[in-house]
Amino acid sequence: MPVGRKRLSSIRPVPESSPAPQPDSEPPATPSTWFWRGAFAGVTSVQGLVLFASMVGFGGLCRDIGFPLGAAMLSTLLVWALPAQVLVVGGYAAGSATAVIALAVGLSSIRMFPMTAAIMPYLRGRGAGLGTQLLAAHFVAVTAWIEGMRRLPAMAPEARVPFFFGIGTFLILSATFATLIGFLLAGMLPRSLAAGLLFLTPLSFLIQLAHNARDLVDRLSLAFGLLLAPFFAAYGGRLDLLWTGLAGGAAAWAVHRFLKKRKEKGGA
Amino acid sequence: MIDAALWPYLLVILAGFLPTEVWRSVAVIFARRLDEDSEALIFVRGVATALLAAVVARLVLIPPGELEAVPLFVRVGAVVAGFLVYLGARRSVFLGILFGEIVIVAGAWYFG
Repeated sequence: MPVGRKRLSSIRPVPESSPAPQPDSEPPATPSTWFWRGAFAGVTSVQGLVLFASMVGFGGLCRDIGFPLGAAMLSTLLVWALPAQVLVVGGYAAGSATAVIALAVGLSSIRMFPMTAAIMPYLRGRGAGLGTQLLAAHFVAVTAWIEGMRRLPAMAPEARVPFFFGIGTFLILSATFATLIGFLLAGMLPRSLAAGLLFLTPLSFLIQLAHNARDLVDRLSLAFGLLLAPFFAAYGGRLDLLWTGLAGGAAAWAVHRFLKKRKEKGGA
Repeated sequence: MIDAALWPYLLVILAGFLPTEVWRSVAVIFARRLDEDSEALIFVRGVATALLAAVVARLVLIPPGELEAVPLFVRVGAVVAGFLVYLGARRSVFLGILFGEIVIVAGAWYFG
């Protein structure tokens, strides 16, 4: 394939039309081309749009709570996981102990473990050293992960890492910008719209969690978590989120084990 | 003592960044040995999902900021409406969120 020669003609970064996940019908592709294609995929992503609006909502939440703008933007850049960010800001507002917030964040971010583990096989080929992999893993959050898992498998191996860095960089920067916008707009928006932005976080989480649910355990733990949360919020004290997660997850897992055992017995 | 103005930044790093990034980093290192379907991972995934569901429920039931002014039944109604539209519209995340938002903004405008 005539790869090297193409380089001169493909300096222009963003392809005019990038029909989604159809790779190499024409093999262009320096890493920088793939990087910009990834960024462009971020621009056109529905999940990206929701993320932008959610981060506007997060910025507004920070303003309401009295969390400083710089720290709000830093949390989008560094934490890069909206549930964790909401836990930090909520914990700050509630005056929770740092260790308690860190524990709750650590538990909610356990999610990053299977997500990252699932996407890494696509991101460690061809000269991606440990440093590159750790950096790529930082981009893993619901939005980048959904788009990555959808598009990466169909792409040429050498395209995946730069593509993922492109979409990840675009999403993280636009989300940081959205945090700024939300913070600045919080005082000016009509109250109804401000409420709408704040509401984007729980609404989009719920729908995306349901959308990502792969199996019975996902669906049951989602349902159990929703049902148990009011109870633990009333009686669970400061660790209510943790108790809800453990109880809901354990119950879902128990159902899964029970069905699996019964199936095995029935099959034997 | 730490300057009070710097505290939120430190909180972001200590309680937000480190406990999140550690899972991403550990996952990179152990990705090769991981079996996606091992029972331990299924359990952990269940706990994580239920915990996120609790975050959702908490934000709806005990909401922050402007949302407090919107009556509980409107908040719950908006989530249910959005979810039903999501299911009805052939699992369209966009339409589900859009419809839920329309309900909450209309409710906030009417009751606000």
